[in-house]
Amino acid sequence: MSKKLLSGPYVLWMIGFTIIPLALILYYGLTDRSGAFTLANIMAIATAEHAKALWLSLGLSLASTICCLLLAYPLAMVLRAKGVGAGSFIVFIFILPMWMNFLLRTLAWQTLLEKSGVINGFLALLHLPPQNMINTPAAIILGMVYNFLPFMVLPIYNVLSKIDDNTINAATDLGASSLQTFWHILLPLSVPGIISGINMVFVPALTTFVISNLLGGSKILLIGNVIEQEFTKGSNWHLGSGLSLVLMIFILISMALIAKYDKNGEGNAF
Amino acid sequence: MSKTYRSLKQFFSNFYLVFILIFLYAPIITMMVLSFNTSKSRTQWGGFTLAWYQQMLSDPNIISALYYTLLIAFVSALAACIIGTAAAIAIDSMKPVTKTIVLGVTNIPMLNADIVTGISLMLAFLAFGISLGFKTILISHITFNIPYVILSVMPKLKQTNKSTYEAALDLGAHPLYAFFKVVFPDIMPGVLSGFLLAFTMSLDDFIITHFTRGAGINTLSTLIYSQVRRGIQPSMYALSSVIFLTVLVLLLITNYRPRQKKSIHDTDALSGGAFHKNSLPERIQKSAMAAAAVMILFSVAFITFKKYTTASSNELYVYNWGEYIDEEVVAMFEEETGIDVTYDMFETNEEMYPVIEAGAVRYDVVCPSDYMIQKMIENDLLVEINFENVPNIHQINPTYLEMSKSFDPQNKYSVPYCWGTVGILYNTKRIQELGVEPPDSWHDLWNPALAGEILMQDSVRDAFMVALKDLGYSMNTADISQLQEAKQLLIDQKPLVQAYVIDQVRDKMIGGEAAVGVVYSGEMLYIQEEVQNLGLDYELEYVIPKEGTNLWLDSWVIPANAANKENAEKWIDFLCRPEIALRNFEYITYPTPNDGAFQLLEPELQNNKSIFPDLDHLEDSEVFQYLGDEDDAVYNALWKEVKSW
Repeated sequence: MSKKLLSGPYVLWMIGFTIIPLALILYYGLTDRSGAFTLANIMAIATAEHAKALWLSLGLSLASTICCLLLAYPLAMVLRAKGVGAGSFIVFIFILPMWMNFLLRTLAWQTLLEKSGVINGFLALLHLPPQNMINTPAAIILGMVYNFLPFMVLPIYNVLSKIDDNTINAATDLGASSLQTFWHILLPLSVPGIISGINMVFVPALTTFVISNLLGGSKILLIGNVIEQEFTKGSNWHLGSGLSLVLMIFILISMALIAKYDKNGEGNAF
Repeated sequence: MSKTYRSLKQFFSNFYLVFILIFLYAPIITMMVLSFNTSKSRTQWGGFTLAWYQQMLSDPNIISALYYTLLIAFVSALAACIIGTAAAIAIDSMKPVTKTIVLGVTNIPMLNADIVTGISLMLAFLAFGISLGFKTILISHITFNIPYVILSVMPKLKQTNKSTYEAALDLGAHPLYAFFKVVFPDIMPGVLSGFLLAFTMSLDDFIITHFTRGAGINTLSTLIYSQVRRGIQPSMYALSSVIFLTVLVLLLITNYRPRQKKSIHDTDALSGGAFHKNSLPERIQKSAMAAAAVMILFSVAFITFKKYTTASSNELYVYNWGEYIDEEVVAMFEEETGIDVTYDMFETNEEMYPVIEAGAVRYDVVCPSDYMIQKMIENDLLVEINFENVPNIHQINPTYLEMSKSFDPQNKYSVPYCWGTVGILYNTKRIQELGVEPPDSWHDLWNPALAGEILMQDSVRDAFMVALKDLGYSMNTADISQLQEAKQLLIDQKPLVQAYVIDQVRDKMIGGEAAVGVVYSGEMLYIQEEVQNLGLDYELEYVIPKEGTNLWLDSWVIPANAANKENAEKWIDFLCRPEIALRNFEYITYPTPNDGAFQLLEPELQNNKSIFPDLDHLEDSEVFQYLGDEDDAVYNALWKEVKSW
């Protein structure tokens, strides 16, 4: 009985600072400046510029999620195969960059990718033509992959490292090729980690506004930029909230996916 | 065969690991290198220096931001640990249905978009009437930290043997005693890893802090963001390098211990072995606890100290553009008047306005631009200045007071601080290479030969000004067909534009990133000086296009809800003193409207036409006017169309 009381502070906190704030977004999103009920803020997603921004955001975040998955899965396999005893150390290596501020890390990419930046400097040394990398969608994807890769690696590594070696040995003993082992053993067992990783990458990538500003030269308007501008510059909080509600739909889909494939929280990143 | 296959596989996996590590650490190494760069520019290497490390230690902004960042990270992680661990224990003993619901809600702050979390919290704080500041950041960080703790502790709880706790109770132990003796040691690694994670997340957060912070408080993230527009101070790189290396060394030390024999099944994130209670040796736990205790004591002492020292009623809240004052001047003002100044910065007028309007933070004196002052006057957000308290107003050249009348008709609300023009900055060498004549008209920004070489201003009115002036219209037009025309022009220009920037244009032009850029005249002195210092092989020239341009004024005003109006007037008067205005001019290099200060300048500077152009030659130029909310919305909508094209 007394144990239940322990959740008291948390439940109050959750209501006060998670549920009520979200309810306020709902309120703002469904009203206009005079406080009257309207769906206009939500329907605004259908206007050409918003729809385009959303579409672009979906495309870029999907691309970066796929890149992250393709990079992270082999990496997690390598890490698993290494069987480095100090699992924590590997994790530290991926968490460590986070101690260097997120904005600075992204700005550093600007320095690397710019026309007269570091990478083009190297290319010039090798007598290769300079590449135009900054302010392109590819630069934004790179920024997303860079910033969110750890969130894909860690959950996958977590589920992979929990797979018993004997399971794999058994498969090999029974004559499975390494491809078959991968396809029939490793992949199915790592689904919770993959789903969790996809979520942890896709959602922040979908909603970012900083990366597109810094690496896209503000030429590429993502849905996150639109929302941010409505709140900080356009001062139309109702429209900003309405568009946030649209984003919430994607987040709810993510949560539903997690609930379906990762019931026991095996795929938690941390 | 199988052996070569294996070593090949080994080779590739090593190669891949190294590749990823380079990818992860390349930007960090870049930053570290830049922290030793003499030049402020990110793209030019000016030589080796340790000066930024010294500057970092002596910059009060950085130190205070570092202090708040660490304090917030620490306190929020600690609070999250206490609330989260308690919650995890409770959740563990819940019925499955309740458990699912609670865990579902727990996931929200983790899965939700940061921008939505940040905005929703901001709306809630405003609705609850909590003014934005330290506590709102702290509450927000605790909110998004709790889930990380719960999720780290839950798995550990599952592994504990419930019977031992019951056995302890049966043997007569008090529940609390039993908890700390029996359960807590088991879940300790989970709590610790939750703490570390929460600390890291808090440290790295920008977006949520961005929306929930208030006056006079910056974390490193928000400080950096406010610098991004005007160019990051390299001392920021220095600080980050120090933090990074400290953490690296700490991690190496804690990880360097005699290797325990472990099988692969034991590896678990962060805590280093879910099934290994001993994976964190006792002495490390103890020293962590001791360190935590010391930090709490330190923080509490510091907060009370801060509270005590800032409790004086004699204070002033200043809201100004980023890097728009010589910090020394603030210190001089504080010393002379005994007034405590809380100094805060904004990047755009549009960002400043809702802050003043919502009254979330009560500033006493603000420095917006012309059209925004007009908007604030029309919406009753300003109070008349009592000029009896500002005797130095006569130092301001009457020309500028006359100019001010376009937005403040009776000169009642504002005192000019800086003024200038907007023009085209071009790289003489680059222009030649591209075979283009030096620009003298806005229309040159539509020259296809300059594709990918143009930097445009990333703000609605500035961008439309360029297009409207090019079309020969007024930049204050509200005529929809003229605006549509301008929009189309901007859309046509977009493929030629390299980037839309605000103050970054300065660094990019110095770095030779682009051939032409739209800039504010105030940046010129700095730009030319820097080009000279770096010994670059090109020059940057400034031209005011012949079609006329935007004449702008930034002036001090006092918000209607200011709590310290007289102090605000003292501040304005202080800044109008010629020697103070001169000091500021030398630091920020934006043209001063202060005649006294102008007379003190070297003749060479007085005659520098890109800084102090002859006003008679600018008859086609205009000052921005506020067009009303509806027309503003039209501009915004059209601009959004341009940006999303």
